[in-house]
Amino acid sequence: TENYSNTEKLSEDLKNLLTSRNEENFSDFEVICVLNETQKTTIKCHKSILSVRSDYFKSLFRSKMKEYQENRIILEDVSPTIFEIVLEYFYTGKIKITLENAIDILLFSSKYLIEDLVQLSSQFVSKN
Amino acid sequence: MSRKMILRVPKFQEPKRMEKSEAQRLWLLLKDAIVEVQHMNASTLSFEELYRSSYSLVIAKRGDILYTGLEEVNNHHTKNLLDKIAQAVDERFLIELNSQWQQYKLQQIMIHDILMYLDRMYVKEPQLKVFDLGMFKWKQNVLIHSQINDRLVRMLLGLIHMERNGEVIDGALMKSLIQMYVDVSLKEKETYKQEFEERFLLATSHFYKSESNLFITNNSCGAYLKKVEIRLIEEEARIKQYLDESTGPKLIKACEDELIANHMQTMIEMETGCRTMIQNDRFNELKLMYRLFQRVENGLVHLKNEFAGYVRNEGHKIVNQPENLKDPNALITSLIEIRNRFEKTLSQSFANNRDFINSVNTAFESFLNENDKLSESLALFIDKKLRGGFKDSNDQEIDVIMNKVILLFRFLSDKDVFKKFYEHYLAKRLLSGRSFSEDLERTMISKFKQECGNQFTSKMEGMFTDMRLSKDALDGFKNYLQTSVEMGKLPKIDMSVRVLTQGFWPTFPPHSCTLPPLLSQYCDLFTKYYCHAHTGRRIIWQTNIGTAEVTFRLPKKTHVLALSTYQMLIMLLFNDAEKLSLKQMAAGTSISFMDIQRSVKPLYSGKYKVLKRTPAVEKSKELSENDIFELNLNLKCKLHRIKFAATSQTDSEPERQHTRQRVDEDRKIEIDAAIVRIMKSRKALIHNDLIVECTKQLSSRFVPQTSMIKKRIENLIEREYLERFPDDRRRYRYLA
Repeated sequence: TENYSNTEKLSEDLKNLLTSRNEENFSDFEVICVLNETQKTTIKCHKSILSVRSDYFKSLFRSKMKEYQENRIILEDVSPTIFEIVLEYFYTGKIKITLENAIDILLFSSKYLIEDLVQLSSQFVSKN
Repeated sequence: MSRKMILRVPKFQEPKRMEKSEAQRLWLLLKDAIVEVQHMNASTLSFEELYRSSYSLVIAKRGDILYTGLEEVNNHHTKNLLDKIAQAVDERFLIELNSQWQQYKLQQIMIHDILMYLDRMYVKEPQLKVFDLGMFKWKQNVLIHSQINDRLVRMLLGLIHMERNGEVIDGALMKSLIQMYVDVSLKEKETYKQEFEERFLLATSHFYKSESNLFITNNSCGAYLKKVEIRLIEEEARIKQYLDESTGPKLIKACEDELIANHMQTMIEMETGCRTMIQNDRFNELKLMYRLFQRVENGLVHLKNEFAGYVRNEGHKIVNQPENLKDPNALITSLIEIRNRFEKTLSQSFANNRDFINSVNTAFESFLNENDKLSESLALFIDKKLRGGFKDSNDQEIDVIMNKVILLFRFLSDKDVFKKFYEHYLAKRLLSGRSFSEDLERTMISKFKQECGNQFTSKMEGMFTDMRLSKDALDGFKNYLQTSVEMGKLPKIDMSVRVLTQGFWPTFPPHSCTLPPLLSQYCDLFTKYYCHAHTGRRIIWQTNIGTAEVTFRLPKKTHVLALSTYQMLIMLLFNDAEKLSLKQMAAGTSISFMDIQRSVKPLYSGKYKVLKRTPAVEKSKELSENDIFELNLNLKCKLHRIKFAATSQTDSEPERQHTRQRVDEDRKIEIDAAIVRIMKSRKALIHNDLIVECTKQLSSRFVPQTSMIKKRIENLIEREYLERFPDDRRRYRYLA
């Protein structure tokens, strides 16, 4: 037997799932990021991916509360840009941390208990 | 060009100031939500809002409000549940308890989910995690409450008891309720062990104690064994169905103790028990017994001892049965039969367990050496087979028998005695031309060789060489006679001589006799011829083991008598006398009186009587010196050639003793050699050590008696191979 793995391709395909999510891509959940009264962004995504990549979302779906019933969640004080970056990380396992986004990623992932991302971003912060 | 950017870190995680009222508001929000969850009304709550509230409290360092509040809410809730559950009557109790418990567990998962941030970032040892706190409250206020615990355990055990008695119970309910004890245990399943498992195991022991006592007194051992097996299978299933797996080994142990260990002695001794099973070859029941006994400590030891005891007993009976003592063939055949039988038991019932095989072998060793008959009997058994007993067997069957012989041989402690007897009978077979097949002879010998090495069979092989060389010598002698001058003067007789190398062959007891002149002359001629061809060799004539054919002329008929050399000499005397007393026969032939007796017997008491005793006193078998014999001229026999047994097949007692004496002589030499070998390498040794070492070295050939070793030591001291230390008489020194 030989074991083959092609994680690159997997990551790429999942990224397609993410970028094409406004088209026909079977998305079943909406995240609405509210930065202030005027700025509201709706991002479509997949429950299955969220729940497997994040304990927060897993619990959210498991407890079958309002968000689960309505298939959407309102995240207050969350920048859609940051959420998109984190979302890409959820789907592909890849993330580009820059001086501009590092702090926000760290704050977001701390709040929502995304432990691996907390580690990555805090490493970046302490290095710089 | 490049402008270095500097990362500005805000005062991260710095507790935000939060008004007490704000904290209180958030807690109340959460508290209401928790109460809703506890009433199963969670679907309208916003998870994110609740999560964010707990997050805000924790980062504002107000986690304590939340944690203690939660504890209170849980406390309150479980106390309410207790009343509700305790009110349920009869079977409703278990159902109510279970459904409340299932809901409670789900609620606790949900509460944990909402308070995840608190759980991860605030709770520190020794505080309980949010979920564990919920479990603890349930345990404290519901499960181990006096109104619940005892009632629950009693009902659970009651249901298990019912199930053991063949009734059907709700396995899923059992599993859920029993698992509850595990779930509320904070570490190492302590609540489960303390509150449930201990009492369950006690009830189990109790149940099987009374069941097994009753069952075994009213049923056969076989039925009991089957029952036990079924019970054990049921309990294994019970573990899988609704017990915690950690109980498995303990439960099985408790069952094994009650069902097997406590009744082992009974199962062995009872009328339908182990003994009867072994006696009647009940292989399947024994197999089951073996499998079950294997499970308990020392179980197999009991079974093994019982089996070995039976084997020893059976063997003892066989080797002491009067018929067997008279008939070596029957003795060995029965031994091979029981060996086969026990091998079958070993393989079919006892999985060919090495310990069992060893103890059976030890039993064989002990009864096979109970009396000194076996060595000779075994040699005689093979003798009979090799004289033609193998005639109707195919190669494979022969091989099986030979291997069994080797097996029995292996158990003999005095292999040297066997060897002497074997050589003795081999010699007789070869000299009387009675060996059925040289191939089979050699096959048998090669098996001994494999077992004991070259030294053991070198003499036997020497005998075969002698037989071949004798044939060459005899051919040479016949040529020599044709060219010899002296030959012309002598009447022709057909003489056959075998030249036996001294040392290869057993030394037959010395006998002497006077040969008639013609034979003497032939013997001299052969001696002359042979010693000329092989200078330096000396020929000693061994007449007592020869055979002869004699023409017997009766008035109306002529017969050829096949006789031993001695018988021939006796018959020849009747050429010159009508009547002869035994005393006269002895005088005329110089044969010892005892040999005269043995030789004459077949001539007058067999089927064809060439001699008759006068006066005829048929009844009295004892022959005395003065008994008188004459030729039986009225012999009626249709055969032309009449064969007479020289002696009986088995040796006479004096011959046997002679063989034993020679064994003793050989042993002396072996012991001497062993002692010298040991002392040469050790230089000095204490008496006891020397005895032990010597016995060990010789054990593959025979078991020397200590008294004999002592005598040999004394002898070696006299011959100045050893000396005693002057200051310590118990120590010996080797003298080079």
